[in-house]
Amino acid sequence: MEPQQRPILVALGSEARSLRLIQAALRLSRERSAPWVAVHVETGGSQLTEDAEQVQVWLQEAQRLGAGIEIVQAPTLAQGLSEVTRTTRAQVLLLGRSSDRWPWARVGHSTADELQRRGLDAEIEVMDDRTSPAEQDSRGMGFGAMVGALSVLAATSGVAWLLPREGNIALVLPVYLAAVTFIAHHWGQRLAVLASVLGALLYNFMLETPRFSGASGHWPNLLFFLAMLLAAQAVVGLLHRLRRQAREVHRREVHTASLYLLGRALARSRSSEEVADTAAEHIRRVFKAEACLLLPLAVDWRILPPANSGINLPPPADLLARLEVGERPGDPLEPLICDQAYCLSLTGTDRSEGILRVLPRETIGLPPDTWELLKAFAVQIALALERLRWLEEARKAQVESETERMRSTLLGAIGHDLRTPLAAIHGAAGSLLLPGQLTDPARRDLLTMIQEESERLAHLLGNILDLTRLESGAIQVQKEWQPLEEVVGSALGQLEKRQGILPVRVDLPEALPLAPLDAVLIEQVLVNLLSNAQRHAPGRDMDLRAWDEPGWVHLEVADRGPGIPAGYQDKVFEKFFRLPEAGEGGVGLGLAICRAIVQAHGGRIQVVDRPGGGSSFQLALPLDGVPPELPEDAP
Amino acid sequence: MNQPLILIIEDEEPLRRFLIPTLTGQEYQVLSAATATEGLAMARSHNPDLVLLDLGLPDLDGMAVLRELRSWSRKPVMILSARNQERDKVLALDHGADDYLAKPFGAGELLARIRVALRHTLQSDVSEPVVCSGGLRIDLERREVSREGSPVKLTALEYRLLEALARRQGKVATHTQLLTEVWGPGGAGNTHYLRIYMAMLRKKLETDPTRPRHFITEPNVGYRLNLEAPGD
Repeated sequence: MEPQQRPILVALGSEARSLRLIQAALRLSRERSAPWVAVHVETGGSQLTEDAEQVQVWLQEAQRLGAGIEIVQAPTLAQGLSEVTRTTRAQVLLLGRSSDRWPWARVGHSTADELQRRGLDAEIEVMDDRTSPAEQDSRGMGFGAMVGALSVLAATSGVAWLLPREGNIALVLPVYLAAVTFIAHHWGQRLAVLASVLGALLYNFMLETPRFSGASGHWPNLLFFLAMLLAAQAVVGLLHRLRRQAREVHRREVHTASLYLLGRALARSRSSEEVADTAAEHIRRVFKAEACLLLPLAVDWRILPPANSGINLPPPADLLARLEVGERPGDPLEPLICDQAYCLSLTGTDRSEGILRVLPRETIGLPPDTWELLKAFAVQIALALERLRWLEEARKAQVESETERMRSTLLGAIGHDLRTPLAAIHGAAGSLLLPGQLTDPARRDLLTMIQEESERLAHLLGNILDLTRLESGAIQVQKEWQPLEEVVGSALGQLEKRQGILPVRVDLPEALPLAPLDAVLIEQVLVNLLSNAQRHAPGRDMDLRAWDEPGWVHLEVADRGPGIPAGYQDKVFEKFFRLPEAGEGGVGLGLAICRAIVQAHGGRIQVVDRPGGGSSFQLALPLDGVPPELPEDAP
Repeated sequence: MNQPLILIIEDEEPLRRFLIPTLTGQEYQVLSAATATEGLAMARSHNPDLVLLDLGLPDLDGMAVLRELRSWSRKPVMILSARNQERDKVLALDHGADDYLAKPFGAGELLARIRVALRHTLQSDVSEPVVCSGGLRIDLERREVSREGSPVKLTALEYRLLEALARRQGKVATHTQLLTEVWGPGGAGNTHYLRIYMAMLRKKLETDPTRPRHFITEPNVGYRLNLEAPGD
């Protein structure tokens, strides 16, 4: 068995740099594949509650990232740490340089120094407070900075030289203070300290009377020096805080902006695929991480976007258990770190919609200060998914209520329109069967009525069936390129077979292109339109015209009937709608079928008033695709 | 000539009750069966001159009955199809059925189709060289076409299409059958060829191409040449 690796210890306090320590320890433990332990030493000194809470936060974070936790009580930090180092036989002890406020307190008194003296059998790594690029005051003692600072100082001394010099330190001091502040702002703390010392010396040597005496026996001069030093420190501290605040403000701005952008993009998403793509794209840009959504299906999980294969591992069982999608009692928004990926429950208002899985590109992971934003992203994504789910449910409910409405209207229609012809047929057949004398013409009349009424029944049933099949998608539009002439011909043929020659004027231009359409369905549209016209204006002329424009072919069926009253021009295409003054015949399905067919072709249908009276039904069908070529032929 | 024997294989009783008197009234002999098994047995024992076959039988697929019939008989088979059986109908026609009637159909239509189908069998030994439809006259031997007595010039493909329709003597020809006969085995699938050439034929041979009387479109199925068209 491989001997257990000696652990890596990391000392955590309440300070912000603890995060970097945690990250460094995590990295180190990965490099050396050693366990790591986060240690906190309670020294028993007065501790602020906020600090104690902050320590808990860091310890929890370390635990999340897989660290063991040790809390010890000891009189001093060094003592506590050396104890733990010995008992755990740690190979490395990571700690931050103590953030003592006063520079002189660091010298020789730091915990690290003390630990060194205790001769521990572990590497002691000290992370400087200022090693983070984000916070580091990297503008050190570079040559350029030095020259700059000295120039400023020289210029200041020049100005001071010009001032009335009779020992009026009150005049000179602000000038130097301004210069030191300027230096601190531009080139950092160290140069500011240097500049204040130099400034004091310059003042002593050059400006104080007698000049170049170097005499520094004056009290005010010493005060001058001290004041400068303190002011420089204070200014630098203030500037740091301001800068940090500015950075924070900037960060928040960036967060707000990215959230806004995400929200806007999600609002436009119309499917979970689009939501996933949008989410992945925004997370990639903002967090430098790959993301995918795991959406629960009946048994399996759907992983979107499918292209993000790198992280498309099925979610581990423990992840499911821990996130407890849909019924998590705690805060479902805390990210769960699992196999280097951050998993968040996508919790909307009433339940979890799935899991967001984010895999950072850098192994160090996502800094906790970005978690808030990530959580906000998760909420946005969850809301978008929820919105889609609700839309889908609403659509289903609407379809259901529509079906319900149709069913009841259908029952109503059946009540009247099916019973009437049935009653007629029944009655006529009964009369024919009666023993008695019916004249031949009377028998014929009854028989003709039976035939007509049964045809009406068949027609009505056919319409109901067709519309149901069209709407349920059972009828697929099978477009084929064909001359309109044939469709018009078979529509007229179908009608005239039943009713004899109709007064229809047909105007089809010779040069009409082939059109991609389903002949059977468009034939039915024409039959419905023509028989409507025939019913509302019996015996009067009808016109059937066609013409084309680039991309479209138009068909028009125009009659000289009473026309469609204003306000009903859209309603006539609705199911079971009948004009109030419409007489017998029809249940208001014919035009609904026409519209369903034309829309299934990607076309439009409308009715307009015809100049000179009557109405004109116009349909436009798209000429999409490439018309086929003609085969070769010989005369 | 004997009265032709017609076998009805139809499971719906009302339809049988309508068909039997209608046909016997026209001097046909009629047999009827309510199931495919019964119908096939009757077909074997009586060798009918024509079979009316419903596609929606309870015990066996209509296509299977057709295959079984076609394995030993060339006698005409007419399909009775319901509204939702368009695909089966075309399939049956492509696989040897002679014609179809879509329900509901009238007695006149039924009898006209039966006449066409029987005429075809009874005269099948003698290939009829001249086919007439209204004022249209097609001489298949001389390859001549005339309308109202005046000759009409057709292109090679137009004539082949016309010939394919005329040889069927009023029976329906499916898209696939026409395409294969006119354009060869590679032609199937190019239904638009057929439509374009049919339009050309109509322009040359119909008085009003939008009200065709000779060349009847059977939606989604094919075309037929109407032998009973009125004269021009």
